[in-house]
Amino acid sequence: MIDEQMAVFIGSGLRLAVPIIFAATGEMLSERAGVLNLSLDGMMLMSAFTAALASWATGSPLIGVAAGVLVATAVAALQAVLSVTLRANQLVVGIGFNILALGSTTFLYREIFGPLSRDPIPGFAQLNLPWLAHIPVIGPALANQTGLAYVSILMVVVTWLILKYTSFGLAVRAVGEDPRAADKAGISVAKTRYLGVLYAGILAGLGGAFMSVADSNTFTENMTKGAGYLAITAVIFGGWNPWYTLAACLLFGFATALQFLVPALQLDVPVALLLLLPYLLALVAIAGFVGKSRQPSALTIPFERGG
Amino acid sequence: MAVLELSGLTKRFGAFTALDDISLQIERGEVHCLLGENGAGKSTLCNLVFGVHRPDAGTMTLGGEPFHPRGPAEALQRGVVMVHQHFSLVPNMSVAENLMLGRASAVLKPQDIIVRMEQLAAEYGLEIDPEARIEDLSVGERQRVEIIKCLLGDPQLLVLDEPTAVLQPDEIDALLAICRQVALRGKSVILVTHKLGEISRVADRTTVLRQGRIIETVAMEGADIRSLVRSMVGRDVQSAGSVLAAAVDIEGKTPAKPSGAAGPVSPGEAVLEISDLVYRDPHGVPRLDGLSLTVGTGEIVGIAGVEGNGQTELGLILAGLAAPSAGAIVVGGAQVGGCTPQEITDAGVGIVPEDRHAVACIKELSVAENLYLGAIGKFSRFGLLDKSARRKAAEAMMRDFDVRASSPDVSMASLSGGNQQKAVLARELSLDPLVFLLAAQPTRGLDVGAIEAVYNRIRAARDDGLGVLLISSELEELMAVSDRIAVIYRGKLVGELAAGSFSREAIGAMMSGHAHV
Amino acid sequence: MVMKNPKLARVAQGARLELVPLQVLVPVVSTIIALGIGLLIIAATGASVIEAIEAFWDGMAGSDFNIGASINRAISLALVGLGFIFASRANLTNVGGEGQIAMGGMFATAAALHGAGGLPLGLAFIVPLAVGTLAGAIWGGLAGVLKAARGTNEVISTLLLSFIALPLVYWSVESFHLLRKPISDVSSLPESAEIPDSTKLPLLFPDNGSPLHIGLLIAAIAVVVVWLVLRHSSLGLRLRAVGLNAMASRRAGMRTSFYVILAMTVSGGLGGLGGAIMILGQQFYLTSDFSSGYGFDGLVVGLLSRGSAVGVVIGALLFGFLRSGSINMEISAHVPSAVVLICQGLIVIVIAGSAILTNRKVTR
Repeated sequence: MIDEQMAVFIGSGLRLAVPIIFAATGEMLSERAGVLNLSLDGMMLMSAFTAALASWATGSPLIGVAAGVLVATAVAALQAVLSVTLRANQLVVGIGFNILALGSTTFLYREIFGPLSRDPIPGFAQLNLPWLAHIPVIGPALANQTGLAYVSILMVVVTWLILKYTSFGLAVRAVGEDPRAADKAGISVAKTRYLGVLYAGILAGLGGAFMSVADSNTFTENMTKGAGYLAITAVIFGGWNPWYTLAACLLFGFATALQFLVPALQLDVPVALLLLLPYLLALVAIAGFVGKSRQPSALTIPFERGG
Repeated sequence: MAVLELSGLTKRFGAFTALDDISLQIERGEVHCLLGENGAGKSTLCNLVFGVHRPDAGTMTLGGEPFHPRGPAEALQRGVVMVHQHFSLVPNMSVAENLMLGRASAVLKPQDIIVRMEQLAAEYGLEIDPEARIEDLSVGERQRVEIIKCLLGDPQLLVLDEPTAVLQPDEIDALLAICRQVALRGKSVILVTHKLGEISRVADRTTVLRQGRIIETVAMEGADIRSLVRSMVGRDVQSAGSVLAAAVDIEGKTPAKPSGAAGPVSPGEAVLEISDLVYRDPHGVPRLDGLSLTVGTGEIVGIAGVEGNGQTELGLILAGLAAPSAGAIVVGGAQVGGCTPQEITDAGVGIVPEDRHAVACIKELSVAENLYLGAIGKFSRFGLLDKSARRKAAEAMMRDFDVRASSPDVSMASLSGGNQQKAVLARELSLDPLVFLLAAQPTRGLDVGAIEAVYNRIRAARDDGLGVLLISSELEELMAVSDRIAVIYRGKLVGELAAGSFSREAIGAMMSGHAHV
Repeated sequence: MVMKNPKLARVAQGARLELVPLQVLVPVVSTIIALGIGLLIIAATGASVIEAIEAFWDGMAGSDFNIGASINRAISLALVGLGFIFASRANLTNVGGEGQIAMGGMFATAAALHGAGGLPLGLAFIVPLAVGTLAGAIWGGLAGVLKAARGTNEVISTLLLSFIALPLVYWSVESFHLLRKPISDVSSLPESAEIPDSTKLPLLFPDNGSPLHIGLLIAAIAVVVVWLVLRHSSLGLRLRAVGLNAMASRRAGMRTSFYVILAMTVSGGLGGLGGAIMILGQQFYLTSDFSSGYGFDGLVVGLLSRGSAVGVVIGALLFGFLRSGSINMEISAHVPSAVVLICQGLIVIVIAGSAILTNRKVTR
């Protein structure tokens, strides 16, 4: 009985972590380049809705994911134009996009799905990898995931490789630390930041699409419930490092999953405290009380070439 | 054959014309110096060539082909490289990573860079550890990294913007030697400086800029240094006296004592007593290492030294912006080491800080607001500001100190550097009580007229009985204004000279740590 | 007095002259464009635009009751917006209005339910208001302390503090030993009991059925005080100096940490007051999502105002009426109120994006 609950807990913790892993990994790269996308939540929500809509319309969850990523990337492109080219306040723009995303998805959902909202949406099946299932305790939970969940871990590896071993990654780090120096070394600050934001958009799109077509097979109003903010929090808590960010996402995923486990185990821990735990941890981390988490020097600061 | 040819280049910033109709040719294999005062347009010219800015009019050709770089990337691609006044290295990355930045290859190849670094080390004697992080390197080493970065791609044209300001004398020698090496290998060098001593040692030809225009271009063989100075400042050196010598730093020239500073002044009782001052930076590196110094009433004590030997830290500590790790500072009998800026001000200390924009004024605020920045409460009743009373008081102060602005209500940013500095001096010299003034690099970035005004103010303050500590990296300035010069090296004073016994050679030797008097 | 460069002075003045209308023009034009897009969207759904507008107008200002309700909404938004511009005078961006409202509302509810009800002389509602203000002030001040002591970016900390505050409210209305009302046979929703009548804010026009309460007077006083402090007081100048250049301000004798903490404390306190007024003036009991959206709306109001207290009033009224209108539009004309969210999002994005036009600096 306890084993079974444990498996459910691990499974749901992982499922809850996956969209945050996607979004946080992309956001981490974008922030390393100096752009903070508060609009991450909006990108995810737009993608979740678009993926649900496209999957429902075509019957193919794959097309759904593609459409979701496309829309999230479009939002990211707008965010990039505003925060890089127009040098707008990145945070304010991000909040604006989140309000817009909430408004437009809620509106379209009611207009399009209104009467059909109980219909399930075609989604991905779980892969059930037998070789993983044999691992004790965590095996079944690991094996019973959709393909997208494995892609999220792959993206962490890819992002880590990009940052460490490619010229683009070096440019990203330089642009986020000292854009003036990078500019004078012949790097296009604007282009690097655009690519960073678009990368965040693509991954946030994957994360959002995962929510609707891989995890729940439905769309609900405001279904991200602040997952984008949680992802940004994970980046902070993870100290802008891909692996620590991954660990933070898993921690947050399991912390959220605890709220289902705690009542089941009849423990007397207020669920609210579990909900605020990730944010509290991040606050403690950003205040510098834990480890050495140092944000990129040029984070949120627009670059303007001067004399 | 000309590598770079400029014709009719003009660059404006708003209503201000920084460069006006510049035409110039840089030959292959020459070291070409650009000489001019601050604000003459030297840096702007470099920035046009390097693509940081784009000209409003005129054309450039590079190797005979049209050259209109839209950014540094394009300039680099065409073989134009630049070492900037402010280094452009990413501080928390390694030397190798900085060198790989902006190189065309999708995947990083640190091994290739290390091999190339070894070649350059053999060719020019430029050695440095590829794994070292930039933030751990000294200023001289960082500049070496900049130069290596420039030479990696085998450039046609190397532009150096005021590269020697931050270097010690032996480092300057090494740098000038590298410039000649580079020219010998058929590349061209543009060297920006306002120090004639360097020009006569390294340049093939020199172009003099003044107020955005080219005054003349001369071959250095057999050139008359004095006539270059005249072109640079637009006045005769003789008439301008020590001020000019200080501004241009003519090597070997001993300035005549201006009347204001004539004769050794007998200092009165001590107003400032620093004993065994120690300051360690956040990394634990000692920046001040047992510094002791006394300044009496009615004397100007100069601190000479190559930048980065603890002057900045001394200034910050005296201003109350950094706390000493050990040692005592006494002003007029009161202990002020580690006190707040307000307590230090109350003890009668006026501060003209080294970094005017960061510490002395707030450029977005009005002149009046800046003049009373430390006394905001003086013009307020029940917490509300009496702006007309403040304006009146500010107008009076501006008149007294010759601060030129159309009104006390214009922003500080709209004033010239000289008028900003006069405003800062006005504020600090109007403090009451006032027994001691720190003037750190008080003429940096000012034009000749303003420099003279600043010197006169400082001398007048001394004559009124103030003790003055003058920190400067311009040796001629110190020799012209000080009654006594102490030399700082690696965080402590290594020697002292009384008025009448100032000698460039002696001070220079002490500054580089070679001789102890 | 001779200006060194008369041309430069003229350029500077010219830029200022055209700046003023642009600062007004941009918000007005963006609002009009956004509302236009909103109407197009309504038309696209096939709903009757006329009917929607009628319902919208009716909800905003169709009756004394609706006008009162709209203004009551605007009061809290204005207080949050004032808090935003107060902090931004010191160059601090307080995006944590939502959390400050939540803390203010929660503690005001606690004070009203536990003790304040029996107090005489209006203290019954003044004390909960003060407690709520204090709670918001602490919540905002916490971000100020982190900024001053640890250099923590206040945008990130205020945002995180909001996400911490919301579960705390949820916790308080979930737990019987905190604020949750005892389960009765009628309802067992997770919410607090209704506050005593004595703690409710007195109505301004009790006879004509308008819910407009004395929060209006409180907000009006706050507007005047904030305007005076920011524009005409030595404190305002000090805040501005510290925000523009902390180092130079320190050298001039100002305790910069104190002003950073003060700015965030006052900013949070205004948000907390806004939250307390929401509970004591119109909602009367605490629910877990009572603050939903008000924080970001208030932030947008502060942003739209470009630092002007009068701008905050206009923006708050605009958003207060928009909200009321959109709710009625959904009920009577069956147009989802999310349309208004779309408009709001567009307004924020367009105004933030056009800052490059209005913030143009005169560079040498």
